[in-house]
Amino acid sequence: MLCASLRVVQRMEKLPRCLGKQLLPHSVLTRAYLKTQPLRWGLLEQKRTVHPRTALGFTQKTFWTQGPNPQKANEDGSKQVSIHGNQREETGVSTSQKVKEAGRDFTYLIVVLFGVSITGGLLYTIFKELFSASSPNIIYGKALGKCRTHPEVISVFGEPVKGYGEMSRRGRRQHVSFIEYAKNGLKRIRVKFYIEGSEPGKQGTVHAEVEEDPQSGQFEFRYVFVEVAPTRSIIVEDNRSQRS
Amino acid sequence: MEEYAREPCPWRIVDDCGGAFTMGVIGGGVFQAIKGFRNAPVGIRHRFRGSINAVRIRAPQIGGSFAVWGGLFSTIDCGLVRLRGKEDPWNSISSGALTGAVLAARSGPLAMVGSAMMGGILLALIEGVGILLTRYTAQQFRNAPPFLEDPSQLTTKEGAPAPGYPNYQQYH
Repeated sequence: MLCASLRVVQRMEKLPRCLGKQLLPHSVLTRAYLKTQPLRWGLLEQKRTVHPRTALGFTQKTFWTQGPNPQKANEDGSKQVSIHGNQREETGVSTSQKVKEAGRDFTYLIVVLFGVSITGGLLYTIFKELFSASSPNIIYGKALGKCRTHPEVISVFGEPVKGYGEMSRRGRRQHVSFIEYAKNGLKRIRVKFYIEGSEPGKQGTVHAEVEEDPQSGQFEFRYVFVEVAPTRSIIVEDNRSQRS
Repeated sequence: MEEYAREPCPWRIVDDCGGAFTMGVIGGGVFQAIKGFRNAPVGIRHRFRGSINAVRIRAPQIGGSFAVWGGLFSTIDCGLVRLRGKEDPWNSISSGALTGAVLAARSGPLAMVGSAMMGGILLALIEGVGILLTRYTAQQFRNAPPFLEDPSQLTTKEGAPAPGYPNYQQYH
């Protein structure tokens, strides 16, 4: 492919220069275009040949299709003839061909639908995780924000408080463990994650729970507390007294 | 709690780089072996030689480009963790997009945008798989419907305190 186009370029160089000069204003545009495709066209630019792409493409095409063209035409012709003959003599073969083709199309359709549905399901999962208000990830973010602004947490752990979830595969700590349950007919989600500050060796476990508000349908925090040690914990927020 | 004491972040870059290299070499090796076998001239000796040649030439290249991707991805991921002080799926997705953009930087802004989108969507898919996998494996451990009391660390107000903190096996 590349060799053929180079040959084309060499031929084009032998053309009279006036042609190139006529095309000069056009070639400025093409040069701008060529810059966006440095891989394919870089070689041609090195040879100082700036020809309009259409002319090049056209000649290239004529060069290329000379070889395999007659064969292809023959093939096409024979195929058409055979189909015509079949249709005239007996319709069984053509219907079987049709069935075969439809079956192939159907298989492709199934494969495509399968892929699309899997991709869509995964994207739905991740978007729900990232944007839905009841997802553990959002609760984790809100609870972490509450912990960061709490003065006692800051004084214990040190200023830049960072949070992370369970250590899973290969050093990823993105997954926050959570549990969903219902009490008194209201959905509750309990979330557990870890925080660390600038103090070395200090690590705390944050437990938070949200409950669905029956009126608004929003999720409100019931409590947020930080477990610093087995005997000590910092209560960041406790809203349980407001409701029953 | 000992396993949480170690900070994963700077070492994770090396880990990911090596993992990506291995993945690229193995996957690319298999792919190139088949491709070399099919592209070689007829004859079983020629075919095997072509296959081996293709693997020898191309597999380290593919492994290298995978390693660059993995290393850059992990570096940006760690930087984002450090910057935001938080680890969540956003880090992965945005660092995938940034990696795509950085690696396509030489091809112009349009290619950068396209590559960034590809990286972001790919990483979002991978994160989705991760979330689904953790949910699925966690649901197998969950047998009894949990009846949870409020944690005993909080000041009890409803009378009877909870008998210790509930088992974390139930978390998922």
